[in-house]
Amino acid sequence: MRASRRQFLKTASLMSMAGVAGPFALNLAAIGAASAQTAPGYRAIVCLFLYGGNDQTNTLIPYDQPSYDQYLAARDTIAIARGQLTATATGAVASQGGREFAFHPALTSFKTRWDEGKLAVVANVGPLVVPTTKTQYSNRSVPLPPKLFSHNDQQSVWQAQAPLGEGAKLGWGGRIGDLLASRNANAQFTCISAGGNAVFLSGQNVIQYQVGSSGPVAISGISGNLYNSPSAAGAYRSLITGTSANLFENELGVITNRSITLNQLLSANLPPASTFPLPTPTSNLASQLNVVARIISARGALGTNRQVFLVSLGGFDNHDFLLTQHIQQLTIANAAVNAFYGWLVQMGVQNDVTIFTASDFGRTLTSNGDGSDHGWGSHHFVLGGSVLGHEIYGTFPATTFGTSVDVGQGNMVPGIAVDQYAATFARWLGVSDTDVPLVLPNVVNFGTSRYLAFL
Amino acid sequence: MLRHATAPDSTQRSDLVSRGQQAAVSLYACTALFTVALACLAGGCSKSDNPQSPQGSDLSSVPPSEYPLPTATDAARFLNQASFGATEAEVNKLRTYGYSAWLEDQFSTPGRSHEAYINAVSASLPAGQSLNDSHVMNTFWREAATGQDQLRRRVAFALSQIFVVSLQDSTVSEFKRGVASYLDILGRNAFGNYRQLLNEVTLHPMMGLYLSHLRNRKEDPARNRVPDQNYAREVMQLFSIGLYELNPDGTPKLVGGQPVETYDSGDIVGLSRVFTGFSWAGSDKSDTRFNGGGTQDPDREVLFMQSYPSFHSISEKRFLTAVIPAGATADPDGDLRIALDTIASHPNVGPFISRQLIQRLVTSNPTPAYVARVAQAFGAGRFTSGLWTTGTGQRGDLRATVAAILLDPEARTAARLADPGFGKVREPVLRVAHWMRAFNARSASGNFLLGVTDDATTSLGQSAMRSPTVFNFYRPGYVPPNTSIATAGLVAPELQIVNEISVVGYSNFMLSAVQNGLGSGSPRDIQPDYTAELALADNADLLIDRVSLLLTAGSMSAATRTIVRDAVNSIAMPATNQATARQNRVRLAVFFTLSSPDYLVQK
Repeated sequence: MRASRRQFLKTASLMSMAGVAGPFALNLAAIGAASAQTAPGYRAIVCLFLYGGNDQTNTLIPYDQPSYDQYLAARDTIAIARGQLTATATGAVASQGGREFAFHPALTSFKTRWDEGKLAVVANVGPLVVPTTKTQYSNRSVPLPPKLFSHNDQQSVWQAQAPLGEGAKLGWGGRIGDLLASRNANAQFTCISAGGNAVFLSGQNVIQYQVGSSGPVAISGISGNLYNSPSAAGAYRSLITGTSANLFENELGVITNRSITLNQLLSANLPPASTFPLPTPTSNLASQLNVVARIISARGALGTNRQVFLVSLGGFDNHDFLLTQHIQQLTIANAAVNAFYGWLVQMGVQNDVTIFTASDFGRTLTSNGDGSDHGWGSHHFVLGGSVLGHEIYGTFPATTFGTSVDVGQGNMVPGIAVDQYAATFARWLGVSDTDVPLVLPNVVNFGTSRYLAFL
Repeated sequence: MLRHATAPDSTQRSDLVSRGQQAAVSLYACTALFTVALACLAGGCSKSDNPQSPQGSDLSSVPPSEYPLPTATDAARFLNQASFGATEAEVNKLRTYGYSAWLEDQFSTPGRSHEAYINAVSASLPAGQSLNDSHVMNTFWREAATGQDQLRRRVAFALSQIFVVSLQDSTVSEFKRGVASYLDILGRNAFGNYRQLLNEVTLHPMMGLYLSHLRNRKEDPARNRVPDQNYAREVMQLFSIGLYELNPDGTPKLVGGQPVETYDSGDIVGLSRVFTGFSWAGSDKSDTRFNGGGTQDPDREVLFMQSYPSFHSISEKRFLTAVIPAGATADPDGDLRIALDTIASHPNVGPFISRQLIQRLVTSNPTPAYVARVAQAFGAGRFTSGLWTTGTGQRGDLRATVAAILLDPEARTAARLADPGFGKVREPVLRVAHWMRAFNARSASGNFLLGVTDDATTSLGQSAMRSPTVFNFYRPGYVPPNTSIATAGLVAPELQIVNEISVVGYSNFMLSAVQNGLGSGSPRDIQPDYTAELALADNADLLIDRVSLLLTAGSMSAATRTIVRDAVNSIAMPATNQATARQNRVRLAVFFTLSSPDYLVQK
């Protein structure tokens, strides 16, 4: 059922003549139809956001002896011993001049997926407005993302459709959702966060739906006897879903109404959590991924064909205790992602779901004694059956100071823009070439290298 | 026996108590606090709510503010902004004495120390048990519900959401007593001076751990090592000046249509050198102590950090308007004084801090003129309303700032209620604290054993002193996407933690609380007292009048009122077993009102 662009414009103009925004569903249907998507079947992306700014230098470590020596010299007391990296070493990577790398020792399952060709590394990716050199950064001669090195702003910059700091209202996941929601029976299941409130999933029309890691839970007060009153439950529902002239009061009613409606749909259709046994060590992240798996599993019943998920793990702002705290967080991520991939295989959808990492920013190459500070470009992972893995995309800079990307303290001006990373997922999900700039307006600044080759 | 280490006369902070803090600090004299805490733990204080104000006899002599004695609804509305929620007793007191007298009374009401509470708990723990986060939560809840120094508590809670330290941090969470002590310094400085507050926040070891300047050492170029930049960045971004230069009314200054950044990476590098060479307090300044080893001072978690010159950078420190030249001798305390003086005197501080305090206490979207008036009081250190003046006249006076926030026409004028963008969504902690207060909740143990309330699905999705990050539970600039709030160009910070999960959690939590009370134990430790409401239960309108006054400052809409009335009347008064019917009618009125938008949005 595909509407033409002409139909969309007609609908839009009718709505505009009416002087009011059309009903939510109509808007979605119209805009989705306009993008004239063609990709078949079910597809989803899952963003694993590592809050705090993951230390990329200790996540993927240069391993061949000359490269490791550079790393060791640069990182003083926060380097991981080479002897601990043997099991997670990649072997020579041709695209990086034959250099070798090693995953953090905790990332054993990432190494397994790498070996299977299901995991790719994207090197030195980060927010940019236009392709930017170190000189251009130093001279401020090109537009730069706002408020570099600030947590809340760079989280937003990574997630927003264009580099906007705190207060951004549109995320690129949400904009993908805007364009693809019409492929879902219920548009409100298009963009789902199990990892907390994130601008990533907010579109112009699509609304981020937040689910708890334990799955759907009902409001008890809207059913049954309420304090012995047989009729109060119905009144209670009216009370908490009512409208108001006060904008804050009104929004509370909107959220509550959405909560009740969608909770009922999920409760009726999700398989039990035990369908996907939690890994050891278990974690809230594993539970978040568990509920994502349950929702994916219910895709037939819910009529969903395109979904964008967000899960998150905090604890990456390792100014202190980098060596001891980073390994804890990566151990959690390793076990949870490994389990999730297993659940995808169990459902037979491992080729239809792609997981990727994102984070506030990379961190300094310099040590502050026992940690690292806020940086810019970082290395990230993409994982799934459709990923062209066992490869590092982009250029992995030398882990030393004074390189052509070092803007101070070994912070890297990104070689790949978040927009390019994001556009690759948008296209894979089925956003058309012509519509990708609707998701990521700045992607046009990157010319013909709009997409990366990992999908 | 108890060495109350955060007492201001301790040698470690003799240089800290210099700016108009003496009066407030003395309220925290340790012996008295400890006695109070013990009495409470013995079950004494939860039964003695609302004793006469220590200043009671003098209240009538306080010069009046510009406002007449408030009506009951005006009084309740003020108390919802200035305390953890209106009670019948406080409404009556405020109506009797007026705003200025109530404020003066609050300014001089002493508070109980969270740290003393923790110390007492710690001393009474059975062998093998240790302190946990719940103990810190319990003392918070106890004071929120029953503390006499309500304004101080409410401001301290607001400050805890600006100068964030969190037990969610695995390092901080090792120090329950330290976190209690940190909460104490916020309360102690709530009516003091910003500069002093900034000093104590900076040097408190919990902040030192949380933002990692404790044990931060000078650069070592030979090893590519630089100072940790964490505190240097966040003290400017979050605790003082923010990212952009501000006009006195809190709006960003624009040059060529663009905002102007207050600092850049160079300032961070310069300032990061200042915050080197500070670490645990103790009897010497050995390298071992700096690194946290050796024989630790048993009170180190509540003692301000001390300086260790050998770990302090002697390089040039250039930041904002300051340049500290490179020197031959390390002077960590002198450098720190220059740095905090420089930051505290930045013109952004007044509007930056004022706006956030307004957001926590009164409304999410103050007009620029409101921010400007409060920032003016912050800068002048003095606030005048009618015949009443408060403040020391020193820049950064928080007493004047708080008074300016609460007595501003924008906060007081009832006409603002009709503005669709006025007010603030109440954070979950406030909602529950107000329920406890409105219905004189009693703790059987005296300890308010509610504990951690983090879980959004089954609980509140918020616990004091347990923010996920230094960026607080929500951001002052949060705009909920795809809402009429966004369309109107407004922010709604607290909506950042309201979502499809949290509305379920809150409703179910209160459904149970209204009937069964809250907290551990069976029956549950915290029980409401609905005596006054039960007496009105036969008449739905009278019952609702009372509940609406206490919980919504009488602002319940006609639509809400109709629904609540129908719900109450759905339980008919039978010929027999009337007590049960009355109980259920009260529960319905309270639960419905607690769930109503009229309650959830403080206006």
